Formats: sequence, C-alpha cells, structure tokens
Amino acid sequence: MERIVQGMDITEVLKTVRGGDGYYITNTARDLSQSDFKNRILLHTDLLAASARERANYFSLEITGGASIHVDILRKQVDPFLKLELLREKMPNTMFQTLCRGVNLFGYRPYPQNVIRLTVREFAKYVDVWRVFDFLNYIPNMEAVFEEVQKAGKILEPCICFSTGPEHTDAYYVSKVREIVAVTGTDILLCIKNHGGLGTPARIGRLVAAIRDTWPDMVIHYHGHNTDGNDIGRITAAVMNGARIVDAADHAFTGYYGPPPILSVVQALKEQGHDAIGVDEAAVIETSEVLRGERQHYEIFESQFKGFSPTVQIHKLPGGAMGSSFEQAVKGEFLDRMPEILHTELPRVQTELGNYWSVTPGSQILWTTAVSNVLTGDRYSNASGDLKNLLLGKYGPFPFYRPADWIYEKIFGVDWQRILEEEGGLEDIADVDITAERAELAKKLGHEPSEQELVIYLQHPNDAVEFYKFEARFGRAYVLPPSIFLRTGGFKLGETLKFKDHKGKEHVIEIGPEARDEEGIWNVYLNVDHHERVYQFQEEVAGTTAAAAVQLSREEIEELATIGDLRAPFAANVCEILAGEGQEVKKGDRLLIVEAMKMQTPIVSPMNGVVVSISVEVGKAVKIGDKLVLVKEPE
Amino acid sequence: MSVVKKKILVANRGEIALRIIRAIQELGHLAVAVYETPDNEALHIRTADEAVWLGDGPRSDYLDIAKVIRAARKSGADAIHPGYGFLAENPDFATACEDAGIIFIGPPSQVINNLGDKVIARGIMADAGIPMVPGTSNLPAGDKGVDVAVEFAAKVGYPVMLKATAGGGGRGIRQVENESQLREEVSVARAEARAAFNNDNVYLEKVILDPKHVEVQVIADQDGCTVHLGTRDCSIQRRNQKLVEIAPSMIQDEKLLDDICATAVRAAKAAKYVNAGTVEFLVDRDYNYYFMEINTRVQVEHTVTEMVTGIDIVRTQIKLAMGKKLAFSQEDIQIRGHAIEMRVNAEDPQNNFMPEGGKTVSVYRSPGGYGVRLDGFVYQGYAIPEVYDSLLVKLTVHGFSWNETVDRLRRCLHNFVIVGPKTTIPFYLNLVNDPDFQKGDFTTSYLANHPRLMDYEDKDSEVGKLAHLIAEINFRKQNTYAI
Repeated sequence: MERIVQGMDITEVLKTVRGGDGYYITNTARDLSQSDFKNRILLHTDLLAASARERANYFSLEITGGASIHVDILRKQVDPFLKLELLREKMPNTMFQTLCRGVNLFGYRPYPQNVIRLTVREFAKYVDVWRVFDFLNYIPNMEAVFEEVQKAGKILEPCICFSTGPEHTDAYYVSKVREIVAVTGTDILLCIKNHGGLGTPARIGRLVAAIRDTWPDMVIHYHGHNTDGNDIGRITAAVMNGARIVDAADHAFTGYYGPPPILSVVQALKEQGHDAIGVDEAAVIETSEVLRGERQHYEIFESQFKGFSPTVQIHKLPGGAMGSSFEQAVKGEFLDRMPEILHTELPRVQTELGNYWSVTPGSQILWTTAVSNVLTGDRYSNASGDLKNLLLGKYGPFPFYRPADWIYEKIFGVDWQRILEEEGGLEDIADVDITAERAELAKKLGHEPSEQELVIYLQHPNDAVEFYKFEARFGRAYVLPPSIFLRTGGFKLGETLKFKDHKGKEHVIEIGPEARDEEGIWNVYLNVDHHERVYQFQEEVAGTTAAAAVQLSREEIEELATIGDLRAPFAANVCEILAGEGQEVKKGDRLLIVEAMKMQTPIVSPMNGVVVSISVEVGKAVKIGDKLVLVKEPE
Repeated sequence: MSVVKKKILVANRGEIALRIIRAIQELGHLAVAVYETPDNEALHIRTADEAVWLGDGPRSDYLDIAKVIRAARKSGADAIHPGYGFLAENPDFATACEDAGIIFIGPPSQVINNLGDKVIARGIMADAGIPMVPGTSNLPAGDKGVDVAVEFAAKVGYPVMLKATAGGGGRGIRQVENESQLREEVSVARAEARAAFNNDNVYLEKVILDPKHVEVQVIADQDGCTVHLGTRDCSIQRRNQKLVEIAPSMIQDEKLLDDICATAVRAAKAAKYVNAGTVEFLVDRDYNYYFMEINTRVQVEHTVTEMVTGIDIVRTQIKLAMGKKLAFSQEDIQIRGHAIEMRVNAEDPQNNFMPEGGKTVSVYRSPGGYGVRLDGFVYQGYAIPEVYDSLLVKLTVHGFSWNETVDRLRRCLHNFVIVGPKTTIPFYLNLVNDPDFQKGDFTTSYLANHPRLMDYEDKDSEVGKLAHLIAEINFRKQNTYAI
C-alpha cells in the first residue's frame, strides 16, 4: 500500500508517506510551464502526456494554480475547471496539486474573504493537494484558505518561503513552522518553497534537519528551481535529511528556470540508497518521448537567454520571473542595463526593503522598483502603488525590519510618519456582494452564470468575460494542438490541419488562398471538412496602427510628460482611471493606473492643471508611447 | 414546326424573373429583363437575352408603369409578364399594356380590377353562390361606419378582422378582439390604408379561428374553358405571409377537396377569369370552407402544383396569352404524389424573421438529385440588396408518398449550406422533424402553437468556429489570443 491515490484523506496520505521506504515525487508540470514557457503549455499537450504521467505513479501532479488560471483564460483560452475535468478523465488516480497565493489566491493582490472561500470551495472539488504560501510568510494571510481546504477534506500543504541572508536562519524558519502548526495542526504536508532555487545543498539539508528535529514526523515537501543548475543537489540533500516528497518535471520540457528532470533526481538518489516510491521510470521516459515532439511549438515562449543563471543567488528572482524579466527588458529596450539591475540594484533594493521573499507578488515589487530606480536614475522617485502598499504594511508586517525612514520620506514626503500612522496596517478588504456580482455577470454573459464562471469572474472580471466571449465566437479552441494554436507566420497554402473537436469528432481543414477585394476586405478561404468556407477580415488601415506607431523613446515619453502629454511608459493594461475629463488636478495626483507584469504603476499629473482628455478606457491594452491623458496648465 | 419568335419583357426581378425567363427561352422566344441599379449584379439580367435599366430605384422603378412600358417599347417587346408583386395585380398596368398594344400575360385588366377590389369580388362571388366568410361591404365613412362595424361584430361574434379593401398579400389586415378596440381601430385602419394603398376603404369579416389555408390553382383560356390543377395548402405562415406550401392539401377527404376545386372553377368562371389564377379558401375546424380571394397572378408557390401535375404553369400562361387554347382538359390532369416548397429567406427566424439584407453570401452550396427543384437567384459572392424582399431560393421537393417527400426535404435541408446571412433553413430543419408536420397536420396557427420550432442553436457549427480562429491565425500570422 505505498501508492498514493486520489481520494485518500490526509490521515491515509500521511500514514502511507511516513510508512514508505523512500520518498515521493511531485511532477510540477504547472511550475515548469510557468517558469520556462511563460505558462503557455496547452491543455492539448498535457492531455497527450496524461496517460504516461498517470502510469508514472507520482505523489501528485501540479497542474493548476499560480498564474496558470489567469493565463488559461487569457492566453490559452481554456476554462480552468474544464481543464481539470478533462485531465481527471485520463488520470483517475493521480492527485492534482495547486499552488495558491493565500490571500492573493491565483491573482496578484488580496481578495475579500468571501471570494477566497468561494474560490477554494469550487476548486477543491478538483484539487487534492493545496500548496499555500504568502510572500511575507505572514500566516494570517493564509488562514482562510487553510480553513476551507481542511473543511473540504483536502490535503493542506502550507509553505514556508525560503530565502538566504543573515536573517534567514533555521531558528527563524522553525518558528514559522510553529506558527503554522498552531493554526493547522500537524496533519499537513509542509512545503519548503525555494522558488528561486537559493542556497546550497548543505543549506537546504540543514533546514530540513532542523524542522525534523522539532517535528520528527513532519512530512516535508521540498520545492525548488533549477535556475543555478544545482537543484538536484539541494533535492538530494533534502531527501537525505528526511524530506519525503520532492518536486521535479518531465525532462523533455525542462529548461533553465523551472524544476529539474525527474529521472535525474531518481537516479541521483538511488545511488544514495533512497528510492522514489512507486515511480515507474519507463513511464517517466515514455512521457518525455510523447512530449519531445511538442516542444518545438513552444519555442517562442522560451527565454531568449539560454543558460543557467547561478547569479540567482545574488538577484534572487524566482524561476517564474526570469523569462518575463528578460522579455520586458527586450521590449523596454533596457537589456544593456540588466547586469546593473540584476546584480547591483536588485540585491540593494532587496536589503533596503526588508529582505523578504522574492516571490509573487513581492518579487514583482522588487523587480519593478529596481528597474525604475536604474532607469530613472533617481532611486524610489517613481514608486508603484504596490510598493506604497507594501511600505504601509497593507500586505502584512515586514518579517525582519522596516525599510529606512529616508525611503518612506522619499516616497510619501515629509509627512510620511503621519501617513504611515493613519493609513498603515493590514488592508481591510470588505466582502463583495456576491449576489450583485452574479447578476452583473449574468448581464454580461446573457445567461445565468455557473458557480465556476462566477469564481473566475470574481478574480479576473474583464479577462473572464473576454474569455467567455472568445468561446462563443471561436468555440472550444483548447482542442487545437500547439502546431495550430501557436503557429506563427501563418499556414502554408494547401496545408492540411487535422484535429478532434471537444466531442471527439475529427475534422480536416485545408488552407486555401487569401484574396483582397476592392473594398480592402480580405477573404481567407478554407476547406472545412470538404466544404469551402470564406472568412473575411478587415485590412488594417495603414496610418492608424502600424505606420502611426512610431515608437517613442523613453526620453521622448518623459519629455512629453513634462508638458502634460502623458504616454504609456511601457506596454500595459489600463486598470483604473481616477480622473475625469475637465477635472482640476494637482501635481502628483494619480490620474490613472496601468498594469504590466502583474504590477500596477500610477500615472501622475506632472503639474497643477486640468485634465483635457483621456484617451483610454479601463481594460484597454496600451503600447509603449500610446496616449493616455492630456493635462494642461490652467489659462 | 417553327415558332414565331416573340420578345417578352419580364417586369420583375429575383427568382420569379428567372423562372419566367426560362419558360420564355424554352418556348423559343426572347426574354427582356429590366432592372434597377441595386440589381445590377442580379442573375436575371445575365440570363435574359437583353436587359433594360429602369433607374436607380429602389423598388420605385419596378413599380413605374410608364418606365416599364417605355422599356418594352424600346426593346420591341410583344408581351410583358409581370411575375408576382410589383405591378402584377395592378389593373392600371394591365390597362397600360392593353393601350400600348402589348400583350399582358395575365387576366384582362377588368378582371384584375374586379378581383382586386374585395367588395366587388365578394359581390360577384355572392351572386355565384360561392360560400364566403360573413363580412360587411365597405364601411360607411365616419361614425356611421363604426356603428355598422359594431353591429356586425355583435352578430357574428368576436374576434373580427378589419381589412383594407385595397390591401393584399397579408398587408392591411388587423384582428380586433372586442368592441372598445373595434371603435378605436376603424379610424386607425383607415389612416393606414390611406397611407399604404392610397385608398381608405375598409371592411369587416368574421374571424375563422385556426383555419387551414387551402387554395386552388385554376387556368382558363380566352374561350372560357376553365380547369383546376388541384389544391395547395399554405397554412404555415408568419405574419400572414407564407413560408411553406404543399400540394395537394393533406385534408383526408377527397370529396371535400373535389368540392373545393369545383367551387374554385365556378368562382373563376363567375369572374370571367382568363389565364392562371389562384382561388384562396379558408377551411375551418369543422371543414366548412369559405372563399377568400382570387389572386390574379402566378403565385410564388406555383412550383408545387407543377411538380404534382407535370404542367408548366408559366409556359401555359404565355401560350394562353398568345391566344392559344388550353391543350389539356380537366380529365387529363392527374395529381401524382406530394410536393413541398420551402421559401429559403434571408431572415432570422429567432429574431421575429427580421430580414438579413445587405449581407454577402460567402458560401452557397445547394442540394440536388432526384425529386429536387430549386428556384433561386443567389450565388456565392452575391451581396443581397437590402431594398428588396428576403426570398433567396425556393426549395421544392417531390415524392411519391408524403413520408418520402418529407424525408427528401430533410435531406435537402441538411445539405443546404448558406453562409453569410442567417436563413430560415435551421427553422425548417426543426419543422421537418416536428411530429405534427410529419403527420401533415397544420393550420395558420402552426407557428404560434409550435414555439419550439425556434429552438435551435443559431450558431456556427463548432468546426466553423474553430475554422474561423484558424483563418484568423492564418491572416494575422499569429494567434493574437494566445501570443
């Protein structure tokens, strides 16, 4: 009875794991997708791998949570619940695991209690193992999720986020575990969440031993990233010191920032006398054989920068943020500043801001602040809303020390102490009126929403509605293989595409010619199941988009800002508009807030004046240099 | 035997223009089409031997008697076939043709005039002893008219139908439920009739609840030899306009149908009818039948009669107009099997049959094979003008038994692909699968009593949607929803 199967309760799971002679492996497919493929690995690919993964006998498969739920609806066009249902059909025994950001759920900032509870209840129907963390290791931020998971009879896995530095001692982490156990009891799995892949094998080994010294029966689940190329070392040390479950991934898809290959872990530990319980190596190999051919279709999402990054020990960016930070550097044209940002400014900001854990959403605050500090040349001059909230303690208390007074003064002005006193403290988020939200969604969808639709909507209102519209228009597109769904450069004339729809019916589409008519309408001809069909597209009018988008340099954008012509500083989404046309504003007033890379950045008025026009609306995506707001000095 | 080549102008558009042009060409004559600017890509122009532009329209030039006569003169046409709608039942047009020495393919203007005026028509029929729905003559003007109406309604019972004397084709009719409503509606109906038909005469009829609409195709030559081509049932209607027509009527009482046909011939004779016409009846729940009107034109649904009798009605119309005698007698006419016509309209049945004009037919794939007939004028790439009616194509099927005919129809509907405008096809697919339709049991309340016919997924098929995404990926060179 060593096999862990879906449906076991926590007592059975703990008994089996503790009684096993060896350790278990979690296949962290989700984390791999997020770290090395910008979260784009499609359900289609996971379904291909499902049968072999099921036979590989993992402790669990991490296949949801983190940013994946948002990306499911935003870029993969698949219902996150349906995804789990379909995978469950093919994987009846394997436990499914999620990564939940505590009070931030699967999003980037805190949600109201009733939203948290409803969301956990709905996902708990599909998810067996709940890994829960908070970027400040602040236990109260996770309590609501803890409660709901335990209430649902699912397996709770609270995390201690791990980092390095003088404050990050074994004693400190043991005290954190004590705080967790005080809330949850000891019928849990305990995760050491090493999202950056920090520390040496020896360091991890000592930490595992320290926790085991206090709680000899504690089932420790080690999670790490291979950013420095040495996570197998850390995993080995963790297991040799008593960790019972470790994370790794299918080698056909492993990259530089995600988990290391399962098979290498299994082989390394076998020589040390530790067996991966139940793991069928042939099925692990088979999984990668199945997946190998698919990887080419995901190339566009892989990091432009190949190679391990042992300097992660300096900058501490977590695996999931590595690829996207380089992407942002390329798009924002500051690639040449990256060494300075990563190796000088980030560690400096890290220390100055309290040496907390660089993980979502805290990692984005550190990154954005460091980028802004380097690019503006004026440190802390352009604080994001999230940084302000962090400083005000809205996400929780600083774990070790508060940032220095001068930072507060720089950001909040001379009056900072009063502001901190009046506005500081944990953010009190009022419950939303779920009945009203449901009615609002019903209006937007044109039908009574399901609980699942509501749950997605409550977390990502705009993107959820866009996704449901997408499905109405384009159908269940998750059936398309990556060779179609992610194709760049278009298809070849006469190319034949074959796929099965969600009902299992086979279809054949042959690509026909494209022709433009006199009115500039493009007719795209396809032969759909042996019937010719034509789809029409409006030709984009030159001058409005491509030609007009002469990209402004950062200097030009800043120059324009000084005269009140506020442009998007980077590609972003408009998430809030705080001023109205005709409104009088003072210098420094927030006019609107844009969001990119999960971070909100306020656009502030450069002068006392009047808002002449607002060129954007909430939810709109803007490119660098796009007009946002025009402010004029009063006559 | 060589024919004298004549030139015949077709004063119409759309499918009926094509239908007539085909008959003209089959007879060895030359067909002249006319058109308005919005129709300059229409198939009837391309098919005719020549075409004359009438003007920019829309509609006004097809309705312009002087312009059409001028076009006939200019092209040297000997005759004009008016089709249905437009000038077909306008006695002034028939008169203008007669005055211009052009043969009008249809009854004499006097007959059109008499039958077009419902009160005169009712007078003729009453004299001939044709059973009629109880009704008034034209209501007197002012309050007196209202009094007459109220008195009549009290006698026959509500509801009653208020009709414009000059109305037709389902227009100018309104049902009235009670006395207070009747008192209000008389003047409203008058005003509407004046606006629509330039004639504010209205009259009242008893409402036959839930009737079947049964009509008889009649044909008469100039010697008064009159035959019928059997019945049609046109009960399935929306907003008093026909959607589906079948021949013969499915009433399982041969004696009754024979009676109705004989009455139709009597009515035509009483009206001194010449050429092809249709005598319309209502049949109530107790199988009493009442004369409604005679349509003095070729009907949209003439195809079903042609299918079951083998007689080309339009060809016959032309020959009769040229002075030929009927080439067949009543005994020669036999009804073989069943025929069903469905009007495939560019309309959205789920949105109250709102027209879908202005859209381009991006895919047109029509069915064919044994027992299938199509009378249409659209083609792939055709932009449907917004300014004309919504009929795209008539699908007519013929079969030995009723079941066979319905099966054939279902097969055809499944194979009929029109992409671009919404059409009545999905609604018809529901219809052919409805048990009452399969039994041949329907009345004019059929749609109202079968709301589930509207219950279909009016969405593109799943593969169609996915293909749309693939087309978009191909066009934009990447999936903008993914990358």
